[in-house]
Amino acid sequence: MTPQELVVRMLPPFGGWLALAALALPGGSPLRGAAVALFLAAGPGAAVVRVCAPALGARPAEGPVERRDPGFARHSDLLERLMLTLFLSIGAVMLVATVLIATHTFSAQRMLLTLTLLTTLAAFCPPLRASPPPRTTPRTPKGSAQ
Amino acid sequence: MRPPVTPRERSTPEPTPARDGAKTSGSGPETASQSSSPSSSESSSPAHEPVTDLSDLPPARPGPRAVAWPGVPLLVALALWAYAMRHTDISRLDDYGLVSALHPTFWAGLAVLTTGFWFTVRDARRPGAWSAAYVLGLLVMERATQAVLYPTPLYAWAWKHEAVIDHLLSAGGLQSADQVGDMAVYDQWPGFFAAQAALQRLLGVDSATMFMAWWPLVSSLMLLLPLVLIYRTFTEDRRLIWTAVWLFYVANWVGQDYFSPQSVAYALHVGVLAVVLRRFGRSAVRRGRPRQAVWTVVISVMIVAIVISHQLTPGMLAVCLLALCLSRRYRDWVPLVMTVVIFLAWCLTAALPFLSAAMPDMIRSIGDVGANVETGYGATPTGTGAIATSWAARLLSGSVLLLAAVGVLRQRVLRHRARPLLLVAAAPLPMFAASSYGSEMIFRVLLFMLPGAAFFAAAALLPKVRTLAAAADDATDAAAQETGDGRATRPATARRWAIGTWVPLAALLGGTLVFVPAYSGKDRINYFPPQEVALVRQLFDQAPGGSLVVAANRNYPDAYASYGSIDHYWFLDDARSHVDKIVRDPAATLADDMAGVERPARAYFLLTQGQLANSEMNGQLDKAQLDRIRASVAASPRFRLVAENGAGWLYVLKQSGGAER
Repeated sequence: MTPQELVVRMLPPFGGWLALAALALPGGSPLRGAAVALFLAAGPGAAVVRVCAPALGARPAEGPVERRDPGFARHSDLLERLMLTLFLSIGAVMLVATVLIATHTFSAQRMLLTLTLLTTLAAFCPPLRASPPPRTTPRTPKGSAQ
Repeated sequence: MRPPVTPRERSTPEPTPARDGAKTSGSGPETASQSSSPSSSESSSPAHEPVTDLSDLPPARPGPRAVAWPGVPLLVALALWAYAMRHTDISRLDDYGLVSALHPTFWAGLAVLTTGFWFTVRDARRPGAWSAAYVLGLLVMERATQAVLYPTPLYAWAWKHEAVIDHLLSAGGLQSADQVGDMAVYDQWPGFFAAQAALQRLLGVDSATMFMAWWPLVSSLMLLLPLVLIYRTFTEDRRLIWTAVWLFYVANWVGQDYFSPQSVAYALHVGVLAVVLRRFGRSAVRRGRPRQAVWTVVISVMIVAIVISHQLTPGMLAVCLLALCLSRRYRDWVPLVMTVVIFLAWCLTAALPFLSAAMPDMIRSIGDVGANVETGYGATPTGTGAIATSWAARLLSGSVLLLAAVGVLRQRVLRHRARPLLLVAAAPLPMFAASSYGSEMIFRVLLFMLPGAAFFAAAALLPKVRTLAAAADDATDAAAQETGDGRATRPATARRWAIGTWVPLAALLGGTLVFVPAYSGKDRINYFPPQEVALVRQLFDQAPGGSLVVAANRNYPDAYASYGSIDHYWFLDDARSHVDKIVRDPAATLADDMAGVERPARAYFLLTQGQLANSEMNGQLDKAQLDRIRASVAASPRFRLVAENGAGWLYVLKQSGGAER
């Protein structure tokens, strides 16, 4: 693992622990707000997207018919990862908060701690491998010599 | 006909404009153009193959001055906007809302921004990031203006959602209708409120009012990535992508971007569609590479978040996915089945109490299209300003839908290539027949049609999209004309250029400027000055548990504060006969209505500026009638004035038995 990969891998959980530490700052402080908002908007999603990246990119996406720009599909994939990072984070925040509220165990700190632990766990998971394409045997007409 | 999606299929000719029909049936020039290089325009010199469309230009390497030029109008527009923010006086809003209050430099800034955007986006030599920067500039000018100008958050509904968050935080869990009455519906779709409750605590602020004014900007930004991704699935043309994004934001005046569950659920809905359109097509399956199961897991997280947050959005998502299944290219039932199963699972468990109570009405409204699109009493724009802004909104929506229809009819190739998007745009229409959704279905249907409609509306403003084969033929024809009588075609080309430049610019300018009255033309109703907030807070600070608040309607800040312990009676929601009785004999009728409250609880009568504006501009009681009601209460010995300021009055009903406080 290169140092760059290590940084990418550990950045989301670090953001979570940083947000937890920022709770020590006074309420309404911009630093506290930035640390919390940034982690909630991107942290859990970034960790999940990193784990799933090989499987997510195993197959090219649908794209336009015209192929003028060779980098177009790559840029679209990048935008897609960014979108997933945001929406998976939002989804995770809503799900964890709802579960805590529904079970009468709600506290904001508990929610942040849960998300940080899940993000840390994801950081230690190996990347999810893409399922191999189905084995296709070349059809041989009956009776033909191989 | 199924669209060509694999490389092999792409090499076969697509349906082309009539004159190309015979030419494209041969060996397929697209094959040649694609196999030789990514683009025919890239490989060929413009000197040999004249350019007929700016998108055919090869990626140029302009000098730094040309690259930076689009920044000038953008900065000028933002400077004009900043100046307007400092010089707009919102202390006296009239029936035109923010429109008449805005400083003229705001309109100049919007015009400069739109013009700069159009001349930037249509020039293939400009880096694509400039178009994105212009769209961000538009979002700031459209969605942050109110947050900058008004000292308090807009919309009574946003204040209501803030009350729900407060309630969740104080209750610490979900409650049933036995405990909180009708408001229990929010406890049955708590996703958004639970997340916001956590955010409020984590930020360490007293209430969500500290940040909810900025929510329209935040929720609009959330839509940007999925929208761009959807459009990039069907075209590489940057002009089409960014003009469609621009039109989407301009046409999205419906006002569902405020602090609400639907704002987040809608962004997630567009996100799911983006993933399905990009990853659930059948071309790769046919190439022997099945879709990775991880994509199903990814969209399931987003679908669950939608389902636990909002009632209508899962239904809209299901009809859109069903419509996609109608095309052979996207006949994958997994997303649809998953949406329906998750939605049903939630409805039959957590949301069952609400649904079982509401089901008879919902079943009755199915198929009653007339009643479902009717607006009803209390929603009729009244007064010149309200009518004008209401028509501005209709004009804007009508124009975008008309442009979309023109785009569909005119752009044959695009219609074929982007048919799935056409299906997604049309899918919400049958929901008219399903429910009235509190007289709001027409607006919601429009909102869910917009991603697809904006794409085809943008296509109507841009040159015709040609198949690669037709483009090659056009280039050959143009080269032949250039070597022949080139002078004869120049005036016609110049005329085409002028029409193709100025007509779309006029359309974009018109739409962008009309957005302002459509979106903020009713701010006299939606804005609550700090005095009004202070008066209502004074009421809730002193009201004992079990008290009753009587008001004309619910259009005031904090109307739902302490809804677990304070009751409300909004008399304009009552039967017309009773409203008439209140108008005839206000003090006596209201005192009788409020008489059932027993000590230590109290009965309050609250009349504020927001209630007056809402009643007057929506065709209920006019100012004279409400003034008469207030004067009657003020003169009545049964009421006592508790507080008043420039934004309203608060009275309490004197109670018999015991000393009056």
